[in-house]
Amino acid sequence: MMGTGVDGAMIGGEAILGARGLTKRFGAMCAANSIDYHLGPKEMAGIIGPNGAGKTTVFNLLTGVYAPDQGSVFFDGREITRLSPQQRVKLGIRRTFQLASTFDNLRVIDNLRLAYYHKQRQGRCSLGGMCSADLGEVRDESIDECLEQLELSKAAHLPVASLPLGSKRKLELAMALIGAPRVLLLDEPFAGLSEMEIGQIVAMLRHRCTRRMAVLIIEHKITWLKDLVDRISVLVNGEIIADGDYQTVLDSPVTRKSYWRVE
Amino acid sequence: MMRLLKTYGTILLVFAGVGVLRLALPGAFLIHVTIFSIYTMAFSFLMGRLGLVSFGQPAYMGIAAYGTGLYLHYFGTNPLLGMMVGIIAGVAFAGVIGGLFVRLSSSYFTLANLALCAIGFFVFQRALVHITRGDTGLWYLGRMERWPLLNFRDPDHFLTFALIVAAGIWIVVKGLDRSVFGAACLAVKANERKLQFLGYNTYRIKWLGFVMANSIAAVAGTLYAVYFGFVSPAIMDVLRAPEVVVVGLLGGVGSLYGPLIGTFVYIAMQDLVSAIFVYWELVVGTMLVLVMMAGERGIASLLESAPRLLRMRARHDRSSAG
Ligand SMILES: Nc1ncnc2c1ncn2[C@@H]1O[C@H](COP(=O)(O)OP(=O)(O)OP(=O)(O)O)[C@@H](O)[C@H]1O
Ligand SMILES: [Mg+2]
Repeated sequence: MMGTGVDGAMIGGEAILGARGLTKRFGAMCAANSIDYHLGPKEMAGIIGPNGAGKTTVFNLLTGVYAPDQGSVFFDGREITRLSPQQRVKLGIRRTFQLASTFDNLRVIDNLRLAYYHKQRQGRCSLGGMCSADLGEVRDESIDECLEQLELSKAAHLPVASLPLGSKRKLELAMALIGAPRVLLLDEPFAGLSEMEIGQIVAMLRHRCTRRMAVLIIEHKITWLKDLVDRISVLVNGEIIADGDYQTVLDSPVTRKSYWRVE
Repeated sequence: MMRLLKTYGTILLVFAGVGVLRLALPGAFLIHVTIFSIYTMAFSFLMGRLGLVSFGQPAYMGIAAYGTGLYLHYFGTNPLLGMMVGIIAGVAFAGVIGGLFVRLSSSYFTLANLALCAIGFFVFQRALVHITRGDTGLWYLGRMERWPLLNFRDPDHFLTFALIVAAGIWIVVKGLDRSVFGAACLAVKANERKLQFLGYNTYRIKWLGFVMANSIAAVAGTLYAVYFGFVSPAIMDVLRAPEVVVVGLLGGVGSLYGPLIGTFVYIAMQDLVSAIFVYWELVVGTMLVLVMMAGERGIASLLESAPRLLRMRARHDRSSAG
């Protein structure tokens, strides 16, 4: 079931997303310290770590928000270290943000339509086309399906600003999924949600992502990842200190020492 | 056809309504309202739809006015051709400046526009004085051709013309609001980074939005140029830059009718209140503060929410009665 560590055989074949020696410093502090990481094409993996460990920084390096000080990023066998975020999105790398990130001044459905429109038009998304395309005419089953599955159908025509945090997170996930990514990076998708909402998101991920795409989830609480992911990595002070399946990581003495601070 | 009428019919009715006000109000007042509301629409488009606050709008209006003025003063006599020249100048200018400015973060964008306006004023007042004749300005009212159906020196002809132009602009803006591009503009305003992560090139979206908005400002500039038959550097005076910001916020930015409502109120105050009270700006300022408390959506939002409040009130009355 589980993927193996660095450079081993990945679930579904060779790694789709990889990092080699990835390093990022902010002043004197090293937020990512020579990180080697590989994600299998159909693998669902987790990253856990305490506050300020560098988890979000790793996402920012993988998605092109920051250029690394050292090291490189690979996608599908090709180096992408110098590509812009937008170019990486085109390759199929999509992410959500730690602070739920949506268009609050638009309606729920229009958020999804914008996500879908670009996907549908990929490569041919001209300004002229955008001006002449009626937003209301942007329709697709995948939009309705997402609304349905995340129980957002009733809120479809409400402005996002009026939604609670849980619905915003669900919406952001739906926007990422509508883009049919090959790699999906989720930054604390469960933070601040009720158990029921977490259940909906987990079900959605199982249904839409398992064995279909690579998913990497940052999470504080290891328990939510237990039944979801194939593999967990522990990040502390910018370094991956443990990597393996849930039980291995939980039992590993390094993790117990530096993450839970138990001897 | 019916569908178009259903979508855009209100706009035609509103501007026809402004025309009907001519029965009671002076033509000069209504012409001023119409042109200034176009100018305000440009600002409102930038701030309300793209989140870009410009304190240099007189520059974009002024360049176009000078395009028209220079043409009519030195070259031709056809006012419509003059307007064309002005609009082309304004759009080209906005295209180049937009390419540079929309990269700037919000406060630098605001300041860069202010600086641009100050430079523009200097250029047209001093640097090009041998062409623009400085503060004396360019006069060409008598040179402009007159046609039986369109005589720009007849206030009623001009008002009708300006109202048709304004209605056309409002129709285009409403069409854009309903398009994918319109949604993308609002998305840039709310969360530009997120839009990039959906794959959109937000730089190009902001550039086009900027050019569109300032093309509207250019139309306002050329209308002033042919209405007065005269253009001077005063049209791009940097001291007048905050005016359109005030009017825009007063009416409410981002809404369709906000610019018209704000302009109407502002110019009425200017004309009426200033006749009885010298410090009329004080009245406008106080009103602005009050309206701003309702957010950036201004008077328009008060009018929009009024029916809802009344309904709620009615429901409340009914439920407390029952
Ligand atoms: N742009 C930045 N400039 C300066 N320092 C930064 C920047 N981004 C992150 N850091 C620092 O790098 C360290 C790692 O931050 P990061 O956001 O990656 O942690 P995290 O593991 O995601 O933490 P959390 O669980 O709180 O989200 C922190 O100490 C943070 O203050
Ligand atoms: Mg983080």
